[in-house]
This record gives sequence, structure tokens and C-alpha cells, in this order.
Amino acid sequence: MTEQPPQPGGKREEERRPRDADFWAKRVERLEVSDVPTGAINLNVQGRHEVGALQGFGPLWQKTYWVPLTGVGVTPTEVVRVWKEHFPEFHPPQNRFYPSLAGVQPGEVLLINASMRGMPVYTGVRVIYADEESFTVMTAEGLPEAGWNTFSAYTDDDGHTVAQVQSLARANDPIYEIGFRIVGSTEQERIWTHVLKSLAAHFGVNEPVRLEKACVDPKVQWSQAKNVWYNASIRSVFYTMAVPLRRIGVLIRRRNS
Amino acid sequence: MGRERRDDETLPGSLQSLRGEYEGVRELSRTRRMDMPQAQVRMNVRKVGEKAAIIDIEGELTAFAEGVLMDAYNQASEGGAGVFILNFEGLEYMNSSGIGLLVTLLIRINREKQKLLTYGLSDHYRNIFQITRLDDAISIYNTEEDAVQAASVL
Repeated sequence: MTEQPPQPGGKREEERRPRDADFWAKRVERLEVSDVPTGAINLNVQGRHEVGALQGFGPLWQKTYWVPLTGVGVTPTEVVRVWKEHFPEFHPPQNRFYPSLAGVQPGEVLLINASMRGMPVYTGVRVIYADEESFTVMTAEGLPEAGWNTFSAYTDDDGHTVAQVQSLARANDPIYEIGFRIVGSTEQERIWTHVLKSLAAHFGVNEPVRLEKACVDPKVQWSQAKNVWYNASIRSVFYTMAVPLRRIGVLIRRRNS
Repeated sequence: MGRERRDDETLPGSLQSLRGEYEGVRELSRTRRMDMPQAQVRMNVRKVGEKAAIIDIEGELTAFAEGVLMDAYNQASEGGAGVFILNFEGLEYMNSSGIGLLVTLLIRINREKQKLLTYGLSDHYRNIFQITRLDDAISIYNTEEDAVQAASVL
């Protein structure tokens, strides 16, 4: 798309710092993983681009999951603080997140080591936005989805604090799109339902998680079919299959040294 | 998506069915968002030439601004505009939900075979457009004059 470079010395350079300046990540050309948490597999993240909802292949879906935290006097700020601190703990065991040492902060990469119906998926997301009441992650090339997930809390008119996960994303490539249509979509909904149930349980709340979903754009973006080259699931399977070979290589090197 | 024969208005993916579905979702969202705080944004629509309209955004672009933004789009569209120019000079705050709003607006505009341009982005918000890769799909201009001139040749 056309983009005129900003005019130097113009009005914009004299503007005061925006209120949201500290909440946004800095722009990066490619993802960098500075420290790999213990137990995490760093694969399909280092050197990858971030991809948003406009760069994916399949139809664009907006899915909003929410749970009212009734009966507890907890503020949205407190909910999101706890969410950031305990983010991996609220996920099901087959969908493990590994935050960096800095945790859920703008610019930080979260590694994902997941299993979809027995198939490993090693990938990651980057925190592009985080304030006191929400944080948003953007997906890496190759992740099953291309888009954003926003985790937030707000107070409704009844005075209840509501925790919410909102996803705006497309399947990243044709293989993922087929997977989502067969089983993936249901699995994904189970994951986010589990996350919100776990978060609610942390505060002693046992309310049903509600889901509202809408197909924002039913159009498939065939120009993005080439994303399959970065399919993290396929690459993760090859990586896993090569584990015995890597172990043999290590043994040979030890013997030779 | 069903296989039964239906007329064009209700075939899945048809413009009419999508418009109805989108309106239905909007109503659901609006109903739920009536529980949420009010938008801190004002938008003004200005007609420019025969086919372009400028939407001046003042305030905060967050999820709460959805109704205001869509109303402004509808107002401009009903006025005959086919090119929409978002003026961000008055933007004071934007979170990631605001980006989501822009994406859904862009999708809707593309579906109607219309165009979306922008101007007035500060360096900070231009950076956000790059982070989120919105600049892959939305043209960014420095001034209103540049944006209007670009709109005139679309």
C-alpha cells in the first residue's frame, strides 16, 4: 500500500507523547527470542515475521469468549494483573505457553509448545500491546492462526467484572483451514473456554463461559496460500521425527571428542 | 455452508446474507456492549468531491468506538462516497481493540468494492500501523490534500 514517509520537522514531531505510548511494543522486522525458558522448545519463532488478520489465508473470524466474575469484589486491573502473572497456568496441558523472563510485557515473545490431536506445534506469539486492563498477542508466521488475541477485563453496568478473550484471526494456510473446519475450531474453543474457566476458578468463581462468534470476512485469501511454507505443525513434526537422529549425532560427537 | 438452492439474497457468502449476518452480529455486540462503558470518541463526516468522504476522528479509538465508527461509515456511504479517508489528526489514544475495529471496517469497505485511505497519523500511530501490518492494506498519506488527491484518481 502507498505510504508517504512522515514529513520531518513537521507538526508531528512537536506533539506530546501519546497516553498509549508505553503500552505498545516497538516495531521489529523479525522476531527475536532472547532467552528460552527451561523446558521450552524454541522452534518456528526466531527470525519469523509477525502476521496479522490481513495476512492469513482462511475466512476471518471474530470470536469473543467471556465470563462474569460474579460474587467477588475484584477489579479489572487485578484480574489482568493475575492473568499476566499466571498466564501459562491457566492453559490446558496440551497448550503450553512459555513467557520470557520479563513476562507478559509489550515486545516480549511467548513460546508455545502445543499438541493438536497428537501433532506437535512449536511456535510463538509476541505481546504487541499491554496495559492495566488488557494485553494483546500477535501471531508468528506458521502458527495455525494469523491475527490477534486480546485478553481483557472490564466492569459491566451491573458492576460485575467480566474477563474476556477476543480473537480476530484467519487460518494461516490451506492445511490449517482444513484442520479448523474438521476439528480445530472446536479444539480452539475448548482451549479458550478452559483458560477463562481456570481464571475464574482462581477467583473462586464457577460461571459458564459464553461465546459469540462471527465470520467477519468469509473470503479465502488465495494469495496467502504460500504461507504453508512456514506451517509450524509440519515443521514441528519433522523436528520431532528427527529427535533420534539428533541424539545419535550427539553420541557420535561425544565419542569422537 | 449449506448446499440447498437459495436465491442470491440468502446464499451463504452473498452480499445480502453477509449484510444481514453482520447486522445481526452488530446487534448482539451492541446489546452486550450496552453493559460496557461509553465511547470517548467523536467522529465527523465531511463530503469531499463526488465520491470521497473524510471521517475526522477525535478522541479514543477502542472497542467502545465501534458504534460511532460504523455510524460514521454508514453516514458517509449513504451520502454516496466510495472512498473513505480517515483523519487521525485528532486521535488521542488507541489500543489493540481499535486496530481490530479498523480491520473490520476495512473488510466491510473491501466487500463493497470501496477504498480506505488515511492521513494525519503521528509517528507513534504510523508505527502501530506497521507493527500490526495494517499498512499492508491501508494507504497512509501525510496531509488531507494528498489523501484527497489520491482519492480523486481511484
